[in-house]
Amino acid sequence: MINLKNISFDQCIKCTICSIYCPVSRATHLFPGPKQSGPDSERLRIKDPALIDSSIKYCTNCKRCETVCPSNVKIADLIQTAKYNYLKKKIRVRDFILSRLDILIRILSPISPIANTLMRNSLVKLLLEKFLGISRRQNFPAFERSSFKNCFKRNMQEQDIYDESVIFFPGCNVNYMDKRLGKDLVKILNAMNIGVTIPDNRCCGVPAIANSNIGRAKKYARYNIRSLKKALGDRDRRIVLSCSSGTLALKHEYANFLNLDTSTLHEKIDYITPYLFNRFSEGRMPALNPVHARVAYHSPCHLERIGGVMYTIDILKRVPGLDLVILNSECCGMSGTYGFKKEYFKISEMIGSQLFKKIDDAGPEVVVTDCVTCKWQIENMTGYRVLHPINILAMSVFKYGLDEYL
Amino acid sequence: MKYDCIIIGGGLAGLTCAIKCSSEGLSTAVISCGASALHIASGSIDLLGYSSGRYLTGDLDTHLDQLIKRKKNHPYAKIGKKCIWESLEFFRQILSKERLNLFSMDKKNHFHITSLGILKPAYLSQRSIFNGRLLDSYKLKKGLVLLNFRGYRDYYPGLAMNQLKKNPLFRDIPLKTGLIELPHYTKTARNMLEFRSIDLARVFEDETYLSKIAEDIRTGAGDADVVTLPDFIGIHNYEKLHARLEEMTGKSIIEIPNLPPSIPGMRIEHALKTSYASHGGEFSSGDRVTGCSMSRGMVEYITTENYSDTRLSAKCYILAAGSFFSGGLKSGYNLIHEPIFNLKVAGGSDRTKWASDQFFSRGSHPFMEFGVETGTDLHPFGADAKKIKNLYCAGAILSGYNPVMEGSGGGVAISTGYKAALEVIKKIKKSSLE
Repeated sequence: MINLKNISFDQCIKCTICSIYCPVSRATHLFPGPKQSGPDSERLRIKDPALIDSSIKYCTNCKRCETVCPSNVKIADLIQTAKYNYLKKKIRVRDFILSRLDILIRILSPISPIANTLMRNSLVKLLLEKFLGISRRQNFPAFERSSFKNCFKRNMQEQDIYDESVIFFPGCNVNYMDKRLGKDLVKILNAMNIGVTIPDNRCCGVPAIANSNIGRAKKYARYNIRSLKKALGDRDRRIVLSCSSGTLALKHEYANFLNLDTSTLHEKIDYITPYLFNRFSEGRMPALNPVHARVAYHSPCHLERIGGVMYTIDILKRVPGLDLVILNSECCGMSGTYGFKKEYFKISEMIGSQLFKKIDDAGPEVVVTDCVTCKWQIENMTGYRVLHPINILAMSVFKYGLDEYL
Repeated sequence: MKYDCIIIGGGLAGLTCAIKCSSEGLSTAVISCGASALHIASGSIDLLGYSSGRYLTGDLDTHLDQLIKRKKNHPYAKIGKKCIWESLEFFRQILSKERLNLFSMDKKNHFHITSLGILKPAYLSQRSIFNGRLLDSYKLKKGLVLLNFRGYRDYYPGLAMNQLKKNPLFRDIPLKTGLIELPHYTKTARNMLEFRSIDLARVFEDETYLSKIAEDIRTGAGDADVVTLPDFIGIHNYEKLHARLEEMTGKSIIEIPNLPPSIPGMRIEHALKTSYASHGGEFSSGDRVTGCSMSRGMVEYITTENYSDTRLSAKCYILAAGSFFSGGLKSGYNLIHEPIFNLKVAGGSDRTKWASDQFFSRGSHPFMEFGVETGTDLHPFGADAKKIKNLYCAGAILSGYNPVMEGSGGGVAISTGYKAALEVIKKIKKSSLE
């Protein structure tokens, strides 16, 4: 019998609107667009997996097709499942490395001064492109010398003095690449009289999912679920993340895509801005000072899909004096590790070109976005410094100057 | 989350309303489920095109007067003529600021060519679809050539030409058809036969190919002065592209609106969304209203799929969720209902009377006029038949008009969206004074 798990393709009325808004098919004709790759082809694939068209590999899973679909078809999910179920898997060394970014980071982090210089060396980059297929035109983010977790452990006792507590899942970005973001977040929560607990955690699994290393993704996911459950104990606490794609993974993809049981966690997980929004609404809000800066806000695709953009905008709008430009939503083209791959780099650049132009037109001092890979892409392609909304909030609460972040 | 106004629906009515509200400084949010019907509309705005199956060619001011006198429940009758003209002028100005200028012939309809060769009435059109220069070449009986791109399957100029030949207006106008090539695509792995309008619009947007296309058009047109093409001349930089193409070919270039996805419709959508964003308006796309809470006859808050735990509340709400196609109205077996607020709906109890026996019946179908009932202030009535004082309805969800038979869909959407915004602004300014 045919396995009909997602039959939302039956609702498709062939209006082609998804293909209009697909950033990939706008950038390249190699991808025939979500309508053809999703609902149209699914009817063939479920009958015979051999009928799969390899062009679906170009899909970045930005989910914009689902956002615009007037008929509620789960287009991106159809394409993702087809990719994993039917596409012939050829694990490349490069994809293996990208799927295990956490290991790479753990190795390079202790030798970060050398590693950071090396990774920006044009010869090293050329070799990486030649032998691994990692585009030499992308810059790897700089690694921190010591992890956020270790810094945090040193003053963990201080967190007991607050009258409430929350679990913060830092993820690789905060742990190894952006310690400042983690520190800002903890300080803000403390200023709201909320203590922070950091559970033992591994990579959230997003890079592994994106590079078809499902076995590895499941291992990470199981580990994280276990350790979050342990950290939660029997206390009624929330779990927050500073990363929009990480939230999507923990809240939705572990259950929907990896088929793991997250029922006890699902309701407790929040992206940081909805969490702060809810606490602010209850009146638990730190005093805000003016921040005089012109910032352009870019809403990441995945936050758009899970519906968090309005919370972030609400938080940013509370900051007095902030000259905020909200950019008309466009995909940046990075999509996790897609933009790092040599064969996709050009497409990735093309996808983002509309956004980069809009940023230039807005002429901000800094760009703000919730997603770390959007940040890498925008910093690399435009030269603008990109901050997290939490950084802006910290500037307002603790009167930090913008120059501290540049 | 609190706003001055929340608009449910991000189509023509919802966005017009949202732009007016946000430009007056109100904090505004739009909740939209999927892309709007602009993607399947022609991109021309009709105000009042037909009466009893006849084209309306005279002064629209008089026609509106007659309609308002005849149909007291028509949305136009509720909001009045002054507001209608004001709204269209407002609409035109917001698009013009986004470099999308619309053509109109004083207060009269003009008639643009469709892909089947029928003439369709409209009040506002993009200048590549109808303009004064085209009108002059009709008068001077200048030659017209209908060109298509070889291999493009969604448009057959021969069909359009044969239909045009039957029209007395084109009796003395030399008509012919022709094919031109798009050289770029012979190099790609994909087959031209798979291309939709959007793929071709992108070729135009990439200006590299423009001079080659212009050359082909010149050759294909021969001695004809007017060249029609399917509507591919770009989305974001369309006005510039159209002007350059006319300059390079020396011909008058007219676009013929085509099968969806509608490129002219997307130009409008893009301009409206850009304008709304520039006023700081918020937009939740791919979202759905999941529930509402009423208190003392007013809407207290709504909840949506994306903002599940959060209550979205506002001083005023506008329901512009569209008709059956967009999900603003739902039909059961013997029931038409409005799913969010369960508003009072006109029509629908006896299923046998919903439709005429013949699909292309002259008398049209009664269900086309089904919709939410409102007062002249656009307030709908709740389940208890009382007016909901902080809710307004606009656009295709309204009852009492037939967008197809009257050719009035665009006008009703814009004018009622605008009127709802005026009411909201008035109410909020008044309450802030108190």
